[in-house]
Amino acid sequence: MNRVRRRNESAWLIPKGDERTNHRLRADMRRFEDADEVDVAVVGCGAGGGVLTQRLARAGWKVVAFDAGPFWDPDADWVSDEAGSHHLYWTEPRVIGGDDPVPLGNNNSGRGVGGSMVHFAGYAPRFHPSDFRTYSTDGVGFDWPICYDDLEPYYRQMEEELPVAGQRWPWGKPHSYPHSPHPLGVDGELFLLGCQRLGIDARVGPVAITNGRFGNRPHCIYRGFCLQGCKVNAKASPLITHVPDALAHGAEIRPNSFVSRVAIGEDGRAAGVVYWKDGKERFQRARAVAVAGYSIETPRLLLNSACERFPDGLCNDHDLVGRFVMVQGAAQTAGRFEHEVRMYKTPPPGVSTEAFYETDETRGAKRGFSIQTVAPLPIAWAEHVASEGHWGHVLREYMKDYIHWASLGVLCEFLPLAHNRVVLADETDRHGLPVAKFLYSQCDNDKALMKAGTQAMKEILAAAEADDTVTINRYAHLVGGCRMSADERSGVVDHTLRTFAVPNLYITDGSVLPTQGAANPALTIMALAARAADHLIATGGRS
Amino acid sequence: MSVDPDLAHPAGRPRYPGYNVLDQARHWDDVTKGVVLGRLGPPPPIRFFSPDEEAIVRPLVDRLLGMDEEPRVPVVEMLDAQLTERIGPGYRHDDMPDDWDAWKKSLKALDDESRHVYAAGFADLTPGQQRDILQKVQDTDGDWRGLPAAKLWTLWMRSVCQHFYAHPWAWNEIGFGGPAYPRGYKDHTLKSSREPWEVAEVDAFDPEPWAQRVEKAKRRQQ
Ligand SMILES: Cc1cc2nc3c(=O)[nH]c(=O)nc-3n(C[C@H](O)[C@H](O)[C@H](O)COP(=O)(O)OP(=O)(O)OC[C@H]3O[C@@H](n4cnc5c(N)ncnc54)[C@H](O)[C@@H]3O)c2cc1C
Ligand code: SF4
Repeated sequence: MNRVRRRNESAWLIPKGDERTNHRLRADMRRFEDADEVDVAVVGCGAGGGVLTQRLARAGWKVVAFDAGPFWDPDADWVSDEAGSHHLYWTEPRVIGGDDPVPLGNNNSGRGVGGSMVHFAGYAPRFHPSDFRTYSTDGVGFDWPICYDDLEPYYRQMEEELPVAGQRWPWGKPHSYPHSPHPLGVDGELFLLGCQRLGIDARVGPVAITNGRFGNRPHCIYRGFCLQGCKVNAKASPLITHVPDALAHGAEIRPNSFVSRVAIGEDGRAAGVVYWKDGKERFQRARAVAVAGYSIETPRLLLNSACERFPDGLCNDHDLVGRFVMVQGAAQTAGRFEHEVRMYKTPPPGVSTEAFYETDETRGAKRGFSIQTVAPLPIAWAEHVASEGHWGHVLREYMKDYIHWASLGVLCEFLPLAHNRVVLADETDRHGLPVAKFLYSQCDNDKALMKAGTQAMKEILAAAEADDTVTINRYAHLVGGCRMSADERSGVVDHTLRTFAVPNLYITDGSVLPTQGAANPALTIMALAARAADHLIATGGRS
Repeated sequence: MSVDPDLAHPAGRPRYPGYNVLDQARHWDDVTKGVVLGRLGPPPPIRFFSPDEEAIVRPLVDRLLGMDEEPRVPVVEMLDAQLTERIGPGYRHDDMPDDWDAWKKSLKALDDESRHVYAAGFADLTPGQQRDILQKVQDTDGDWRGLPAAKLWTLWMRSVCQHFYAHPWAWNEIGFGGPAYPRGYKDHTLKSSREPWEVAEVDAFDPEPWAQRVEKAKRRQQ
């Protein structure tokens, strides 16, 4: 593991023992003045922004990473409780619409240093090689300007740095994981059993949860509150996987600082960012800007940064900013078992199968889906039961049976469509800025995949001898909105994540994904940010 | 910290007799303990709902959650506090008002509907009549008295479940292990799925198979 430590010392900078935060490191953090021209101002310190900040700081760059939310201390700020974790989510106003509106809030983006990964489940799969050329091979979606091999070394780096635990992975390009698979909960055992009986290959992992020694990161205690923030420091988020090393190399993290505009100078280059802190509007000068605020806030920020040169929004000359936003069709089907399951134990991410990932014409749809364990806690489980129409005494009866249910989730690759987009709403937030409006409608291919995915979950549960099932239709993992492409007529950024329109402006978060595969996106977002950092460092950011 | 045993009253029939998740509170971290035990203290006074609205929202919440008897989980108080503080879910449907306005509007609509059908306010109906009105809202496709029915229903259910299943009484009712930091769980396999302090269902209390239990609950509701 010394190789990892030489690249990223975060896990060793976390305190030993029962304290989760290195307060000394934070107190000693370098602080820049607004008037200092830093090398890069990073907007958003989540999956993409966190990795970029660490890589650039290590290369000696002067970096400030802004985050609208707090600089979390897991000991003081997070609880082992569902309802008490509402403050982890981005709950500023947003509007949703379209034929199939996607609820945001707790199921979507986070707010605060670490980003959405603070409350992400923890699955860390790679995309498949086919994901990078769906248009060429399947006639749907879009071809990326890079291929799997371009990203592979960065996948491996991130898997070592998070680190990822799991069995050897037979799908996509087969690979193994640095940490061995975790022990399972009953829901995971039943999923494996159902798959085994049907002859479907399913594997334990891949999860970004330490299993064994990794710096000072403790072992998972199998308490199941991964979606409420890991108080143990066992589950990865940039707060513990990249920010400590960034601080040790002179980066500044500026929390509670909401960036309202990227300022463009008369030369057409980014000059810095306008941001709000403590009720004051301020301006940070920067030689380059990287936006990494998640697929809703990133397009919103660009649209809100309209100026004389870009009257329709920054980098929006070709009406592409905010378009092709994707969500995965993420229905969850639970089965009831006579045996006790108690799915609230062990991490919700346990077992996955990618056996359905690639196109199978018999499904009547292109591309595919994966299936994973999900294990909702009581409030989320009540939402499942209620979504089947149960209420009153029936709801209570179902709920009393909580310990008998095991829940699976599907991730369907919904296609990138131009009409699925983020625009500015008429209403404004407390800074007077238009909030984001997210419009979403499924296409026939999406619907067919969701149907096939739900059917597959039911069959697996039935094979494991479930005597009843309930299904909730939902979505997960918003990506896209500023896609990467070969040219400025079809995308917003190039393969190094630099915007075509502004030579010193980068977008380094999930917004740049042209397609989403049937894999959870965080690892790919981090790998792309690490790759972009290498390009920046190699070229000195010259443009 | 010791917990008053009266605070552990299971809300409903005891499927897990004797189980009290609060007995474990001494094993929880202080921050979590503060948040969870706070739900057992005296609830804040009603500030968001007017007295008229309060009279409607109380039976509404009781019917949605099948809460027919005392002691009740103070869902109305928790909801009122959340709406007072304008803690939103992080989104609004473009054809719905904000949650706080939707709640007020929907209570008025319920009362109007009730006066239209029964010539009496919602608060004065029998539980059976109240359930009939609610069933009609759930069965409506499209608009119901100026609000999209399906989205309104989801808002109601999401809001009441979020508070009810945050309460330790509800956890006792469903056998949930509750907060688990710093101790964690050790028994999580098919061979051994229960910690020594977790309680098995007692079949003597509920000898019927699952399907029959659900059918019975459905009849109770009708
Ligand atoms: C419940 C849940 C479960 C999930 N499970 C998984 C999983 O198992 N596996 C997986 O791979 N993915 C999962 N995800 C998705 C994953 O967390 C996200 O895809 C990923 O974190 C997105 O990375 P990002 O860099 O685009 O944005 P984020 O990580 O969300 O970071 C964006 C950051 O920018 C900040 N920000 C936004 N706007 C501004 C502004 N204007 N000024 C300053 N700061 C700003 C935000 O506060 C936030 O911290 C899950 C997500 C959720 C919500
Ligand atoms: S189950 Fe493990 S990884 Fe998940 S929150 Fe608990 S300790 Fe952290």
